[in-house]
This record gives sequence, structure tokens and C-alpha cells, in this order.
Amino acid sequence: MTVLTVLLSLAAGAYLIAVLEGWAVHGRLQPARPVISALALLGRESLLARKPDRLFFEVGPVLLLVAGLLAVAVIPLAPGLIVTDLATGALFLNAALAYVLVALIMAGWGPNGAYGMIGGWRFLGQFVAYAMLVVMPITAVALRAESLSTVDIVMSQSALWNIAYQPLGFALFIAAAMGLCWLPPLDLPTAPGDLAGGIEAEYTGVRLAVLRLARMVVILALAGATVTFYLGGWLGPWLPAWAWSGIKILIVAGLMVSTGRLVPRVREARYLELSWKLGIPLALINIFVVGVIALVVEI
Amino acid sequence: MIVPMIFLVFFGGAAVWFGVVVFRTHSMVRSALALLFSQTAVGLMFLVMQAEFLGVLQIMMMATEMSVMAIFMVMFMMDPGGLGAMDMTHQKRLSLWAGGIGLGAALAVIWLADWGPAGTDIPGAAQQTEDLGRELLGRSMLIFQSAGLTILTAMVAATMVAIAPAKEQPK
Repeated sequence: MTVLTVLLSLAAGAYLIAVLEGWAVHGRLQPARPVISALALLGRESLLARKPDRLFFEVGPVLLLVAGLLAVAVIPLAPGLIVTDLATGALFLNAALAYVLVALIMAGWGPNGAYGMIGGWRFLGQFVAYAMLVVMPITAVALRAESLSTVDIVMSQSALWNIAYQPLGFALFIAAAMGLCWLPPLDLPTAPGDLAGGIEAEYTGVRLAVLRLARMVVILALAGATVTFYLGGWLGPWLPAWAWSGIKILIVAGLMVSTGRLVPRVREARYLELSWKLGIPLALINIFVVGVIALVVEI
Repeated sequence: MIVPMIFLVFFGGAAVWFGVVVFRTHSMVRSALALLFSQTAVGLMFLVMQAEFLGVLQIMMMATEMSVMAIFMVMFMMDPGGLGAMDMTHQKRLSLWAGGIGLGAALAVIWLADWGPAGTDIPGAAQQTEDLGRELLGRSMLIFQSAGLTILTAMVAATMVAIAPAKEQPK
């Protein structure tokens, strides 16, 4: 029952985010657009490139979807409304999202096309930039909660949300999350301007539909992770718990898909430089500061 | 007891099978990712044996490490896609002997070592994580810190070797 509820809310969330993204990209609010796009994709011929690595080509989009769904499994939407409350939930989320990288390398390598391959390997470069900045802010979050369980992490924020307790970690995590779901300005793997779609270039029809749906699931998983780790999860007055989770996740996901478009695309060399020379020292400072606060003040 | 055993054998078999695939494929990316899934299967074996933290950690670390390894293999091999059907093996007799002796030694250790009784009262996942943390920051700290420092030194040295020396600017 819980699984079904989570899957249905995921579908609804993905739909709303797709509408929002369409609005951000095309400047027109068209609530029917995702349905029309999906029907168009399903109706189209699914082309196969010449001499593809067929296994990778087929597995890539599906693995991406599975990675996203596994990540969603440890995100609590309300007390008791979580697929599985693992004692190592925060780490499990990372483990699931690590396979986004594997899936994109497969999807890039599989079709035997130059644009796709460059897109896939670009994501690897991007991964080297964001990887530490996903893990290190989560370390500080777990430090405060004294647990890796996502439910415990939400409960630890009952007095004060982590966005106020560790704003530095929040900023770093969001920057890394944008890189993880290759959203503008960090959309180098697809880079519509110079790679003709990158990893999406050789995908058509049903396979492209799965790839795009999986990307929505990954975006929602990261929005859910942000809400769980920094915005108090389901906590909030008046409204029921699930409503708070839904509202917060939709707002975060909406901001993620829309605001990045206002700044120019960042080259991966620049992203790597910023992440390693500025981001990691800041993340270490964040862990230190949170550790000191946790020892000194009881919040 | 029987169900975990079945899963353990299944994932163990998968780990070995993916390990064989590593050497059977001509594609470097397939080879690297086969090694990844072999290690993922080992991570799943940890999960079956109720070592949750170690299992999840193994599954996470291997995904990233093997992907990075894949690009190095593509960069350094002459026929990364395997479409040229190049034979990239060499010193077959030596490797057969080395592999055979290694396998024999591993089997000897497995069968001859006294492993003691199997653990029955396994602590909960949260407790295991805490115990592991205390172990890493206590008795094993020196070992892990020196290993970390060694790896860091190797990384810096490798990067220095990889950077082409800058040409002197003509004055």
C-alpha cells in the first residue's frame, strides 16, 4: 500500500514538474503538454543506431529509472509513509544515485554515436565535481541527527530546520544536486546547444520516453532528499504531514528546473575547479562548524 | 536460514560470473562495468549477511570507482570498443599458472582456516554503523590514516607525472 501511494505521488509529481519545466523552457503554461509529448514519443519509431552496444543501449534508461526509484524508496513523505526506513538511509540514497552515473555512461556509450559518447563521459567529469559535495553536506546532516536514517534526520529538525542550522551545507548540496540531475546551468551531458542532445541524441520513441521519465524521477528524488535533509521533511503547522512534504518537494523541484536557466551554462572544467578548490574546503568548514554547534548548543 | 543461503549462493554466483565476463568481452567499457556488477553482487552478499553499512558502502563506492576506471581503460587501450577484434592478451602460460596458484591458495585458506563459530546474535544495523565508526576512529585509525596518506601521495604523484611539462616561453 505504501509502495503504491509513493509511486502514485511520484507519477503526479513528475507530471507537475514536467509542466513546470515546459513553462520555464517555452514560456507557455500548457498542462496537457506532457501527455501530448509522451503520446508522441510512444507513437514514434524507435530507431537503433548502426553497430550499437545493444545491451548498454537498452539497459541505460531502465537503470536510470531503477536508480531514481531506489533513491525515492528511502525518502519519508509522512510518518510511516516511507517504502523502507533503513538504518543507513542517507548512505543508501547516495548508493542509489551513484548508479545515475553508470546509467548515463551506458546510455552514452551504447548507441555508438559521437555526441552520445561525449555526453556520457562529460557526465563522468561532472560527477567528479559534484560527488564529494553530495556526501560531505550529508555527513554534517547525519552528524546533527546522530543517525543515517532519513526518518531520524527529519525528526532531528523539529526545533530548527537544517537550512537555518547549516545554510552552507544547504547551498553546497543544492549546487551538487543540480549537477547530479544535469539541470541547467550544469546540463553538459545533454547540452542542447553544442551536443545536439548528447546522451539523448540517439534515443527515440519509447526508449527516449523512459529516459526522460527517469530524469524526472531523479529530479524528484533529489528534491525529496533536499527537503528531508534541510527543509524539515514533513514537519509544518496546520496542514497534514503528507501535504507539507508534497508542497516542499514541488517547490524545491520547481525552483531546480526553472532558476538554473537564468544563468549561462558552466563548463565542466570551471565546475570542477569551483567544486574542488572552493566547495570541498567549504564543506569541511561546514562539518566542523556543525560539529562545534552540536557539542556546544542543544537544539 | 535456507532463504539467505539461496540468495548468498545466487549473488556469489553472479559475482563470479560477472568476473568471468570481465575477461571474455573485447569492449573495455563492458569489461569495466562487468567488474562493477561483480562488486555490486559482493555488496549484495554483504546485505544478505546483514552487514547493512558495509553492503551499501560497497555498492556505492564501486559504482563510482569502476566508472572512473572505465574512462581510463578507454583512454589507454588501442581498441576500447572491441570492434577491431584485437587480441589484447599476452603471457598466457604465465597468467594461467599465476591464476591457478592464486585460486588454489584462496581455496586452501577457505577450507583450512579455522573460522570459529558463525555469529548468531548480530547487532542491529544502526549499532553496526556505530561499532564500525568506533573501530575506525580507535584501534584501526593509524592503519586507515596511513593508507589514506599513501593513496593521496600516489594521486598527487600520478597527476604530476600526467601533466605535460610546460614549454619554456621564448624570451
